[in-house]
Amino acid sequence: MRDATAVGSPASVPELQQRLRNHGYLAGRGLATATFIGLRLGQPILLEGEVGVGKTELAKCLAAIHGRELIRLQCYEGIDTHQALYEWDYARQILHVRALSERELADSDTVGDLYSKDFLIERPLLRAIRSGGNAVLLIDEIDRADDEFEAFLLELLSDFQITIPEVGLVAATERPIVVLTSNRTRELHDALKRRCLYHWIGYPSVDEELEIVRLQAPGVAGKLAEQVVTAVHELRDMDLAKPPGVAETLDWVDALGVLGGEKLDGETAADTLGSVIKDRDDLELVHAELDRLVADG
Amino acid sequence: MADPDSTTVSNTPVGIVDRLVGFGHALREHGLPVGSDDVLTFCAATAELSPGDPNDVYWSGRTTLVHRRDHLPVYDEVFRTYFLNLPMPPDSPTAPERPVPQGNTGTLDVPDSEPGDEQGDDQPLVLGLQASSIEIEREKRFAACSPEELIQLRRIMARIRLEPPRRRTRRQTHCRTGPRIDIRRMARDAMRLSDGTPELHRIDRKERTRPLVLLLDVSGSMADHSRNLLQFAYSMRRAAQKVEVFCFGTRLTRITGALDRRNPDDAMSLAAARVLDWDGGTRIGASLDHFVRKWGRRGLSRGATVVICSDGLDRGDPRLLTDSMEKLSRLSHRIIWMNPLIGNDVDAPPDTLGMPNTLGMLAAGPYIDELASGHDLASLERFAARLPTAGG
Repeated sequence: MRDATAVGSPASVPELQQRLRNHGYLAGRGLATATFIGLRLGQPILLEGEVGVGKTELAKCLAAIHGRELIRLQCYEGIDTHQALYEWDYARQILHVRALSERELADSDTVGDLYSKDFLIERPLLRAIRSGGNAVLLIDEIDRADDEFEAFLLELLSDFQITIPEVGLVAATERPIVVLTSNRTRELHDALKRRCLYHWIGYPSVDEELEIVRLQAPGVAGKLAEQVVTAVHELRDMDLAKPPGVAETLDWVDALGVLGGEKLDGETAADTLGSVIKDRDDLELVHAELDRLVADG
Repeated sequence: MADPDSTTVSNTPVGIVDRLVGFGHALREHGLPVGSDDVLTFCAATAELSPGDPNDVYWSGRTTLVHRRDHLPVYDEVFRTYFLNLPMPPDSPTAPERPVPQGNTGTLDVPDSEPGDEQGDDQPLVLGLQASSIEIEREKRFAACSPEELIQLRRIMARIRLEPPRRRTRRQTHCRTGPRIDIRRMARDAMRLSDGTPELHRIDRKERTRPLVLLLDVSGSMADHSRNLLQFAYSMRRAAQKVEVFCFGTRLTRITGALDRRNPDDAMSLAAARVLDWDGGTRIGASLDHFVRKWGRRGLSRGATVVICSDGLDRGDPRLLTDSMEKLSRLSHRIIWMNPLIGNDVDAPPDTLGMPNTLGMLAAGPYIDELASGHDLASLERFAARLPTAGG
């Protein structure tokens, strides 16, 4: 049993903000409120937003501040229950049967053992149900999974129990904290959204982003951080196919930090542009404007 | 959390609850889909915070009552008037629609809707079963039809059974002649039989429908066809799940949601109301570019069959069209261009359609996988019949 005051739920929104901040995550009032309500009411939190604004990171920080295990389910097209929930270990079952003698086989207990937990391969969702209150379940990029999987998830999120035919009912004693993320490659079903608290994470303001950079990369010179953040904000205003997220800002700062520069100039910016811009057409567009970008910073 | 409200809400003073519930109603009046359960959660959430703080009320409402990003502006407006007593701006958003700037060439023109369409008569008929009196109309160009004939044609079109294109998925299913062996099933059998060799089982990958994206040209030069194409899109949307529909003239409008109404008239007029540039000019290149940037890059057209219905009379820069077609072809599975002008060449046999000689078509040509007509009912039927196998 851990110390309740250290890992217990935060008592107020500012406290939650502070504790997230201690783990290097800067949450705005809106996000913190949504998360706080989710924790209090035991509802899943659905986060939507552009790529690289820290949706996944929030789940990791929540796990850290509660001292819980993070269980991550990465969704993809065609994901099914065997990959998300559980599967029997067939090869081991067969080996086990082969190793048994005739007499042992007649024993009904031995046969029952074949469907014991030893032969059950836990996948993230079953694991989350079993861990219950000790887990933070992150269902990442739910928009990539098929509609059917979403329907299945809906059922699971409402009851937190499943029936495995050979074993019986498995139910969570306490609900895990659930965070879902979506990049909006497709619209999610309203039924799923209704079950969740919704929050849209936008890009942070210049000041906020600067603070994020200082939190995440404390060793970087202040002038450099300022220049990078200003330049990234300019980039977001340009008509790019893939505007850089906060993750790209941090990558860029890191890359410049490795080169050891104190300030951003046209040459170093051009050399490290690959950390922020990940599209060929965008690169061409930005190269043409590079001097202006750096000068502004 | 099965019943989060029963204890927490009762702690909130009655006056505040009324106020909060009233806010839910106000949102509903402005077109947001707010359910009673949402309002309950909202009250429970606010009780966890401090109901006297407008900040807390704002954020708890925003996270519990709003489920889509598009609805946020409406929420903000209603919050402002309801809680802060600020006046609504004159053109406040009531429908959950992103504000579209007024164009310089666009004119708003709601198309005629057919009067007195009976509901419940939408059983799909197999192609070719229509009444014989209509049969003669089949080869008649839409442009030459009288309004009454058009209404009838649209009725038939609504019943065309459409089969969307298919693709194979990662999911697997039992199959007699599949290419792979089903270890799981055989393990089950092996245990049941205890000795002896289990039978060989095979699996194959399942098939699923491929997404379909329709891009309809509704500019002036397509006026004879655009409403029929819209009807066609409606039928398509009814027939298959993964169908996205966009309209473009000088700018691109997404009308997928509007076409989801059960009543075809409602759907059509709602869709028409969203499109602000009916019968205006054409900027195919800019519209496609917009589609690629806004939707295509996000994966909407990934693996999809994209059908562009346009005459290719582009007033924009052909280089932009070539450029966006190239990007689109990389982001989608297959591009079919449906051009009614092809059908005007009556002598040409339907299957040897030549490329019309407009600048737009020349620019887009290299990236088109298949050309189709679409100037009359028969050509639409042919197109619908070919879809399932289009691109395999």
